[in-house]
Amino acid sequence: MTSINLSEAEATYFKRFARWKIIIILLTLTLILTVTFAVTIGPMQISPLDAYKIIIKNIPFIGDLVRGGSSSIEEVVVLQVRLPRILAAAIVGIALAVAGVVLQGLFRNPMADPYVIGISAGASLGASFAIAFGIGLSFFGVLYSIPLMAFASALGTVLLVYSIARTGQGVPMLTLLLVGIAVNSFLLAIISIIRLVSGEAIHAIMAWIFGSLVACNWNYVKIALPFVIIGVALIYVFARDLNIILLGEEQARHLGVDTERLKRIMLASATLITAAAVSISGIIGFIGLIIPHIARILVGPDHRILIPSSALAGAIVLILCDTIARTIVRPAELPVGIITSLIGGPFFVYLIRKRKRSVIG
Amino acid sequence: MVTLRISGIDCYYGSIKALDNVTFSSREGEFAGILGPNGSGKTTLLKAISRTLTPRVGTVFLDDINIYDMKIREVAKNVAVVPQEAVATFDFTALDVVLMGRNPYIDRFRMESREDLAVAKRVMELTNTWDLADRPVNELSGGEKQLVIIARALTQEPKVLLLDEPTTHLDISHQISIMDILRGVCKEKKLVVLAVFHDFNLATRYCDSAMLLNNGSIFSIGPIDTVLTGENIKKVFRVDMIVKRHPITESLYVVPLSISRSKITQSKDIIVHMICGHGTGAPLMKLLLEHGYGVTTGVHSTLDTDYDAACTLGIPVVSEAPFSPITEENHKANLAMIDEASAIVVSNVPFGFGNLKNLEAAKVALERGKMTVIVEETPIQQRDFTDGKAQSLLEELKSKGAITVKSRKEALSILKALRK
Repeated sequence: MTSINLSEAEATYFKRFARWKIIIILLTLTLILTVTFAVTIGPMQISPLDAYKIIIKNIPFIGDLVRGGSSSIEEVVVLQVRLPRILAAAIVGIALAVAGVVLQGLFRNPMADPYVIGISAGASLGASFAIAFGIGLSFFGVLYSIPLMAFASALGTVLLVYSIARTGQGVPMLTLLLVGIAVNSFLLAIISIIRLVSGEAIHAIMAWIFGSLVACNWNYVKIALPFVIIGVALIYVFARDLNIILLGEEQARHLGVDTERLKRIMLASATLITAAAVSISGIIGFIGLIIPHIARILVGPDHRILIPSSALAGAIVLILCDTIARTIVRPAELPVGIITSLIGGPFFVYLIRKRKRSVIG
Repeated sequence: MVTLRISGIDCYYGSIKALDNVTFSSREGEFAGILGPNGSGKTTLLKAISRTLTPRVGTVFLDDINIYDMKIREVAKNVAVVPQEAVATFDFTALDVVLMGRNPYIDRFRMESREDLAVAKRVMELTNTWDLADRPVNELSGGEKQLVIIARALTQEPKVLLLDEPTTHLDISHQISIMDILRGVCKEKKLVVLAVFHDFNLATRYCDSAMLLNNGSIFSIGPIDTVLTGENIKKVFRVDMIVKRHPITESLYVVPLSISRSKITQSKDIIVHMICGHGTGAPLMKLLLEHGYGVTTGVHSTLDTDYDAACTLGIPVVSEAPFSPITEENHKANLAMIDEASAIVVSNVPFGFGNLKNLEAAKVALERGKMTVIVEETPIQQRDFTDGKAQSLLEELKSKGAITVKSRKEALSILKALRK
């Protein structure tokens, strides 16, 4: 079987795997540049070289190789203030973008995003309860009550949506979508009530719902990171199945995909990573909707490249947006969710217009 | 030897029974058609075999292995399905889509190999889609898209190929080329092919065998010409059909009649006897029935088109064995029928020594005082193969008072006079 002659079309086909590698390398380099840029920007200017020295110095084992020339205050700013926040932005960006890819694929609907099955409303409800009434405060302490309540409430909401939508045969995706919309609006009404009776806390609730990375520290990073790593890895394992389910569930089954199992694992993974992201950042909009679209335009529809490039692009874009959010109205700060929506909205309109033209032309 | 055996399956949608005790088996290299009205269970049957809809009773065996005991990937290696119309979302290339057919063979952590690509290429060349390999499926025409989906099914290297009206949405040239490819693959790769058809003529042309489903159970099964008879179609579809063997393709062809026989009532008061043949009488027979006349005809060879028409329309007919002259006995039977009739019509039929006796019968009728109408669309000289005998008989009829008309419509308006 080794003596198969490759024609031109076949050679082109295998070239794509090489192209995928180049795309990943380029995006990774861009991400490193973005992180570098973001670390150096802020009230205190820090040179990239110093920033690298500080970071490398604090990596176990290889840290001793660097002779540091930076002040301890710079070290605190880089390590304790900016870096955890940048990493959190990267984690949230990755999670939202990958969850967006998965849900758009499963629903075969370009309008789907990580929040369609009730995660955002569920998380907001939990966070609102924690902020307004201090629920969970006594168990988890001030710092963790909001993320943990948001996380638990998001998972609970998705489970509720899922179990309402489930039939004896499995989970019809359209039903899931409709139930998601219904539960979403129901929960939003409850959140509005909480806001009305919350008095002073209303500002904190609003700030959380808009999405912000201001509170992110190393502990938040440590909470979210394992979920996102495991979830994204699990999703990537099923990348080819996600390609095939785009043909429709029945055809996917004919091609040997256990669609019900795929949907369960994918929904669970997407929910976990989104809930983990949302619990540390609040509801950051548009990343999960737009990044998959941009990535699809750039790298094509194959999930084996779409997932990693969306992840990297999500991280890059959210780090940039967060850098804008924390610097543009210094010394105050905008919620990053406002920035993503402000930039994302018009950009999405542009994409839709472009798409419309290509359909007509 | 690959055998697909469906063993007593009952399928339900909720509480509605869609298949009732369906049992049959199909061999490799056999192209089998599934026919039946809408809602008769054709697609449900394919769903049961492709494990999309689990039967409540009974099961499906492939080479004596219960496919419901197989892993889903194992099923995909053995059974491939071509749907009616494939939806293609997002812009995968044709090659991408075809390679998806290799999915059951590729481990989760592997990429497509050269072997997979070789299989895809071979199949795409077979289906004339290799030239489309780099084109996004979204941009392909309906026919091209369907070919890509067929190629995808074939890259699964299945033993069983299930087709659900694979060409319904395509134009006639694509229908023919796709069916030719599918039949070729069936024979060459020794596949078991089960195909749902709505088009009888496509089914008769391509199927070796067929089953006719009615209300979820098998009404008839076997070689296509024993299944697709006018009688069976009438019973299952409640439509009258002419089923004939085409002289060129040698396959059966089926033409629906616009009216159902149940609507026609053979009138007893005004009966018109027709002397015709070679299909020259059939349209007028139908016209007369629709206008409330009773119709009889004779004498016809059983191979004659007008004989078929008479049988289909339920018209009393005197028949004769093919290629034999009209016997005295049948001639008398014909005259007896003429006696019952109020008028006779001689159609624009060619006359040879075989049917000259019918013209003599017309003469007898005229002499007995029956109204006689001669439809003469082409001059008798051009259709007289009796050395002028038919011509002189016809002229004799005319001179003795037969009415000559140019068309069947004219004949009808003359006959209307009888009504008054």
